[in-house]
Amino acid sequence: MEGAPRGGELSVEATDLAQYIEPGLYDLAYSWHTADLPFWVERAQRARGPVLEAGCGTGRVLLPILEAGVDAEGLDLHPGMLEVLKQKAAARGLSARVHLADMRDFTMPRRYGLITVPFRAFMHLLTTEDQLRALRCMREHLEPGGALVLNLFYPTFERMVEPGDEERLEREFPHPESGLPVALVSVKREYDRVGQVLRAELELRESDARGYAKAVHPHKVSLRWIFRFEMELLLQAAGFTRCEVLGGFDGRALERDTDEMVWTAWKD
Amino acid sequence: MNAMPDTAAKPSPYEAPELYDLLFETLDFDRAFWLRVGREAEGPVLDLGCGTGRVLIPLLEAGVDMDGVDLHPRMLDRLRAKAARRGFHPRLLGADMRDFTMPRRYARVICAFNAFAHCESTPDQLATLRCCREHLEPGGALVLHISYPGVALWLGAGEAPVLEHETSNPANGNRLQLYDRRITDRVNQSQHSEIEVRELDGAGATVASHRFEARQRWVYRYELELLLRLAGFARWEIAGDYAGAPLTRDDQQMIAWAWREPA
Repeated sequence: MEGAPRGGELSVEATDLAQYIEPGLYDLAYSWHTADLPFWVERAQRARGPVLEAGCGTGRVLLPILEAGVDAEGLDLHPGMLEVLKQKAAARGLSARVHLADMRDFTMPRRYGLITVPFRAFMHLLTTEDQLRALRCMREHLEPGGALVLNLFYPTFERMVEPGDEERLEREFPHPESGLPVALVSVKREYDRVGQVLRAELELRESDARGYAKAVHPHKVSLRWIFRFEMELLLQAAGFTRCEVLGGFDGRALERDTDEMVWTAWKD
Repeated sequence: MNAMPDTAAKPSPYEAPELYDLLFETLDFDRAFWLRVGREAEGPVLDLGCGTGRVLIPLLEAGVDMDGVDLHPRMLDRLRAKAARRGFHPRLLGADMRDFTMPRRYARVICAFNAFAHCESTPDQLATLRCCREHLEPGGALVLHISYPGVALWLGAGEAPVLEHETSNPANGNRLQLYDRRITDRVNQSQHSEIEVRELDGAGATVASHRFEARQRWVYRYELELLLRLAGFARWEIAGDYAGAPLTRDDQQMIAWAWREPA
């Protein structure tokens, strides 16, 4: 493990879009997840300057922020996700400024009061070099006094020792339009405890009115977890001089390994 | 023995060097490795956290030009006496690993047997690593051992003391048993150990009990790489055991090599 930077080498997983869930199904897979939206909308409304969301996907977070009247833009490296986002924005009468770009290496003409990376999107970066490139690039795009806010799960050690090949129901919820049951199931989980990468194979399963399987949509995701002090060092190495971590969107302190880490880092 | 919980602050195990040596002096799992590091250094070597000389004295005997730093003067007193009996008079400094000054520069700084886990915060870790780097000759290397904090550490911690180590007192044949009750904090990566060393006579009766406490802060692999980067090292490698195997499992050790920029 050489410490010298490995220039230009991209982690395959972050750009292997074929592994990712189909953009048209992404909204369905996570339609149940709304608990974080008040936090992101409130942070965006409080920002002193324009807002940029890195990894905006299909706009699950960005569209409510635009609806709240915030001057916000988004970037994502998945063109299919951005297409879905634009369609959704148009249907709601919103004009969304979104950019096909990589959070590790992008150039925007303006600077932002707030840059966000919601929904653990930062965990798609699988190497320290990718993490540092992204943090430096986002810091460059902040106004002085601006803030970077992102959330990551804290790795739960009990889950790492569970059998990785048993199916686990992650979430069951009604289809937002038909009301029919939909299940998000992880069929395989592999924890690389030293490499700090979780490789999961998931299936989105739709049922018909009689409860039979109607469609199964398999996809994969690789997430690199980051420990608390490791994240402090990453932010420090990227040039941030001040940061804070909370244990959840409700603002509680980080105390347990089941907490969600909500990070804020400020540019001087 | 007192049945009531003993909540008073206990001394560090490093306040009892004679007992420390009875327990650990004969541990030799890492000795061949450090001997090789010393012999191949081609220059002076500093042992940071040298204690009573478990590693330092065999290196002196192998002809390596050794100095030592340790926070605990009583450990150094014992090392000094043991070395003198063998005809050695190494330069030993009682100082904090975060802030020490030696009059010369080294081909290798070594930090063995989890001594680095005594740095309890990120600023402590960075101060220690920067101080090590400053004491290296250009092109010299820090060689540091710290156990990987695997799931067994975090899942295994509990209320009950665990028999961690057992040895015998050669002077009287008594058994020495080290019990460790571990309290861990997962998000702060820390471990608080309440240690009891029991001495048992030939009939198995406890004739003495010594209580200590210790704190350790564990560090993960990528975190250690970031620490080395921020401390100014030019390059680094982390192996998974003393034979140089790759680090792939969380029950392995971390043997980190970090080089100062050559001249």
